[in-house]
Formats: sequence, C-alpha cells, structure tokens
Amino acid sequence: MFRYILNRIVAMFLTLFIIVSIAFMVVRLMPGSVYEMGGDLSQTVIDALNAKYHFDEPIIKQYGYFLENIFLHWDWGTSAKMRPNVPVFDILRDRIPITLQINLISLFAALPVGMAAGILAAIKKNSIVDHLVSLMVVLFISIPSFVFAAGLQYFLGFKSGAFPIIYNVSAKGFLRWQSMFMPILALSFDPVARVARYLRAELAETMNSEFMLLAKTKGLTYAQSTIRHGLRNSMVPLMNIIIPMFANVLGGSLVVESIFSVPGMGGLMVDSINASDHMLTVAILMFYSMISLITVLIVDISYGIVDPRVRMGGKK
Amino acid sequence: MVFYENDKEKYDAISKDLFRLVQKDEEIHDVEFKTKPIGFFMDVWLRFVKNKASVVAAVIIMIIAFFAVFGPGMNEFRFDEQHTDRINMPPKVPFIAKMDIGIFDGGFTLENRKYDNLNDPSKYPEGSVLAIRNPRLVSGERIVDVEVDYYKYMGMEDDECFWFGSDYLGRDIWTRMWRGARISLIIAIVSVCCNVVIGVVYGSISGYYGGKVDMVMMRITEIINAFPRIVIVTLFIMVAGTGMFSIIMSLVIKDWVNTARMVRSQFYRFKGREYVLAARTLGVRDMALIFRHILPNSIGPIITSSMIAIPSAIFAESFLAYIGLGLQAPEPSIGVMLSQGQKVLLHYPSQVVFPAIVISLLMISFNLFGNGLRDAFDPTLRGAE
Repeated sequence: MFRYILNRIVAMFLTLFIIVSIAFMVVRLMPGSVYEMGGDLSQTVIDALNAKYHFDEPIIKQYGYFLENIFLHWDWGTSAKMRPNVPVFDILRDRIPITLQINLISLFAALPVGMAAGILAAIKKNSIVDHLVSLMVVLFISIPSFVFAAGLQYFLGFKSGAFPIIYNVSAKGFLRWQSMFMPILALSFDPVARVARYLRAELAETMNSEFMLLAKTKGLTYAQSTIRHGLRNSMVPLMNIIIPMFANVLGGSLVVESIFSVPGMGGLMVDSINASDHMLTVAILMFYSMISLITVLIVDISYGIVDPRVRMGGKK
Repeated sequence: MVFYENDKEKYDAISKDLFRLVQKDEEIHDVEFKTKPIGFFMDVWLRFVKNKASVVAAVIIMIIAFFAVFGPGMNEFRFDEQHTDRINMPPKVPFIAKMDIGIFDGGFTLENRKYDNLNDPSKYPEGSVLAIRNPRLVSGERIVDVEVDYYKYMGMEDDECFWFGSDYLGRDIWTRMWRGARISLIIAIVSVCCNVVIGVVYGSISGYYGGKVDMVMMRITEIINAFPRIVIVTLFIMVAGTGMFSIIMSLVIKDWVNTARMVRSQFYRFKGREYVLAARTLGVRDMALIFRHILPNSIGPIITSSMIAIPSAIFAESFLAYIGLGLQAPEPSIGVMLSQGQKVLLHYPSQVVFPAIVISLLMISFNLFGNGLRDAFDPTLRGAE
C-alpha cells in the first residue's frame, strides 16, 4: 500500500514538472518582451528590468533560473503587469482561500440536496417525483453555470435586491456570507444534479438486488432495509465521483467568479491572460494542474483502499 | 447401444422403399413471416422514436440549426454592421408589438422623469409613451417612471427595428446571435468529428493488436489525460492565437482520448469472438478485420458518445469566450455575446437573455438527444449513466 501511494505521488510530481515546463516554454516563447509594451518606460529602465529578471538571456538559462528559484527559494517569479514587483506567490496566497472557500462550500452544500433528490427518485421510481428529479437533473447538468449566474444576478440580486449584486470584499460576518451566497448557489447546481443522477441509478440497482429481498424476508421494514442495506451499499462508490467533481466545479468557478467580481483565482486568471502577465499565468495554471492532479491522486488511493485488487496490481 | 456401424455394404443393401419422409402428409404449422426483416438502423430508429423527449430534442436541434443557417440572412443587417446612433436598443418585432402583450414592443423604462414633460412632443414623440408607473412627489415635482417605445422615442421610422435589439455598438443581436450559434455549432461538430476520427483509428489499433503496442499507446493516453483540460486549452490558445481553428484544435487535443479508450474496450470485447476467428481463418487481412468486421460493432457507442461530447464542446467554447480567449472581435459566437452582454446585464438584460436561451436549449437538447440515442442503440443501458 505504501509503495503504491509513493508511486502515485512520484508520478504526480513528474506530471506537474512536465506541465510547468511546457507552460513556461509556451509563455516565454510568445512574441514580444514583457516590458516593451509599457510605453512610458525609458529604454534604460527596460534594460535594467530585463537584466534583473534575466529576460535578456537565452531561454534555456531563463528556464534554469526559473526552476532554481522554485526549488531553492519557492519563488514563482514576479508579477509584471497586474501588480508590478509583487511576488506571484504572494498574489496567489491572497486569492486562493476565497476560491477554495466558495468551491468547497458549494460542493458540500450540493451533497445533501443531491443525495436527498437521488434517494427520493430511486425510492419512488417511475412516479411523478422521479420524473421531476430527472427533469431537474437534465436542466441542471445542461444549463451552463454562467447562465445560472447571470440569471441569479439579475433576478435575486438586481430585481429583488435580496443579495448583493457583486461580492463584497470589505464586509465581515453575515454581510460577507450574504454576498457569497449567489456565487455558491450558481456553482452548486451542477454537483446537485450529478450526485442525484448517480445516486438514483446506484440505489435503484441496489434495491433490485437479492440481499434486499433477503432483508425484507428476515422481517425488516421497508425503511429499515432501505437505510441499513440499500443506502449503505450505494454510498461506497459515491465518494469516487465527488472528488473529481471538485476539479469540474473549479473550472466553472473561473467564469462565475469573474461574473460576481469575486477576488479569487478565476478573476485573476482571466485578468492575467488579458494583461499578458506571463509569470502569473504560469503560476495560476500550475495551481489548477495541482488541484486536478491531487483529486486524481486521492481517487486512485481511495480506490486502492476500497478495492485491494488495484493496489496488488501496482505491486506485481 | 450402437446407432451406427461402420459397415457401408450393410446399409447399401437396405431397400430404398423402406425409407419415407417424416412430414409428408402432415400439415406444417410454421407460417411464413408477413413482416419484412428490419436492419440494425431501422431497429434503432423504431426504439428512438418511442422516446418522446429525445424526439422533441431532435426537433429543437433542427430548428436551431435551421436558424443558424438561414437566420442571419432574414433581415437587412449584417453581423458586423454598426449603427452608433442606435446602441443598446430593446427588442421589437412589429407584429408582436401590435398584439400589445408587453414583449418585443421596444419597451424601455425611463426612470425619474418629470410628469409635466410627458405631453411635450419634442421630448416624447407622438405615441411613444406606453405606460406610466410609480407616480410620486419629489420636492414639489411630480416624478414618474415612464415606459416608452424606445424606437418612437428615438424618432426612428416604424419599419426600422432590431428584432432582438442591438448591442453596445448598435449591431443587430438577431443576426449576430444566429451567426454565433452557427459558429458555435461548427466548432462543436468539427471538433467532435476530429475526435472521432483520431479516437477510432487510435483505439482500433491499440485494441486490435493488444500486447506491447496497446501498453505503449495506453500509457500515452494516460499522460495526455493527466493534464487538466483548462490548462491545456488555455496554453494551446495562447500559442496558436485566438481563432476558430485553434479553438477547435484545443478541444481536440485532449478529448479524443475518451473516444480512443471507448473504441479500444469495444475491440477487446469483440476481437475474441468466433466470427472474428472464422474470418481470420479464411485469410482476411488485419485492416479488413478491424474496419469491416470489428469496428461496426462499436458504431452505436461511437455515435452516442460523440452526441454527448457536442454540448461539452459548446460549453468549452463559451467558457473560452468568457475568459477572454474567444473569437476575434467582429466575429460573434454564443459565448462572446454572453460575455459582452454580461457587462450590461443590469441595464439591458435582453442582450444576455437571447443567447442564454439558445445555448441552454442547445445543451439540453443535445443531452436529451444523446440519452435517447444511447437507449436506442443499447436498450440494456437504459437509465444507467
């Protein structure tokens, strides 16, 4: 087991290394120097800046400096356009918590709702409830999160005035949660639908299996057999769809954050691309790669724990 | 008990008269089939039309596709034609406006206007006021919110109107939206077609030959799969520049892996079957075995998965437009229009509403259509995801 996990972690870091190298090369090989577009900088200043950040040296050497800075000093470079002379890592450190907060809350808020809908649909299979849940699933999965976000912003925020139109950075306590409500809601539609759809299929299959019949024959009531035997068996695989969903939600949050002006990673990515602040872009791409690789890693390891065959396969 | 002895002469000696046909006089109860035999696709079609939701979805897709082709030519505007004196016009369709039901009448609410000015034809031209709301007294002045026919308010001719309104440069939203839908559909369909072609060839080779070839090829797909989609797409567009071709390629670069894996697993299922063995014994070559004997088995899953991939491609395209990596300026796409409309959402919601409805309808329809196809091709998968 330990070896299996170690293998996976080494593979993850290798992938990260490849991604960061590709990202660096791509971003650096783009035409135009970082400081030439500024306009109001004099040639001497530009030369000095280029020398300071090694932009005047060959790309391989720049790459060497880049890696050296990361590994030895945990220095991801310096932002050139968005917040000049601020280390990229500091900018990220300001932005990451809010993004993680919004994404994790929307994912965990979606869980009970989706589970309730899925269980209800499976128990009342082929009834009106089931059809309503199926309709909800199709709508929530199909309609993009930014359409939901725009609708929420217009109706809940602007027309009824129940929630602030954009995220309130300076507010504390209740007001802050209130301004976080709409981005969270907009992001949780998709996970609700996915959990509901998955649990419905899983539970409906479990309900038809023979051990459920046995449980009822033993004298358990419908509720007892469903909760103790049906639900428990369909919960096991649920974990494995929730974790990858996090990467999915994170992707949607890119756009939703910029709609609600949340000062998170999403808006930062959009801005850094538009302002062509390359070091920042590399670091942000790195962040997204890391998140998605970690989710894959967790899924793999949890598979290994649940299903011993996977980890034995790694050993031999 | 011996049924048969290897003694030819003994059997030849038996007189032929002793043999008789078993069923000669008896009536045969089998009836000849009255119906015609139906093929695989007819079978699929019959199952598909039973599913009402997916038939409706297919019709909606066809309607949207029709407008995407012919919509931009239906009025006199071109998609990049700017009318800087006619910016942010509300939607107005003459014959719906005449029905007086409150939509598409060019209505726009002007807030905080002086009541006394309402009868001044130089400020409010004849017939421009539709409704007066919320009268109130502010420091001795009578103030109202006025809903005006914005077209008459601006003093425009009766026959000049933007059916779905105009955007911040005075471009016609109807024309741009359908052109955008056309471009979004082209991006989605072309990228999915490329996925299928690459995925089928790659998956067939990997699945058919198996062994070392398979191992190497699957490792490659695993490496590609390890890269997060957002990162790959963003990097690719940064290299290749924004444009239709690079958007399509950025969607292809990772998504073909799924098709390849699915085709490979189909090959693993079928390549050991007896009919394949029989064909191979008869000397059929590898290429013919792959493409004529094994691949047709996976036509159902391929069509289904490509239908399900289309909405995600449409989504990816609008996602790119939102983060500023969409198409170049005058060219519209649904995503570009949504992200532009988003900026003026609170004042001119109609600029978001129409593209949002079209993209939602497209996504819902393609999902339902894909589900219907999946059930039709493989009824055993019904209800499973």
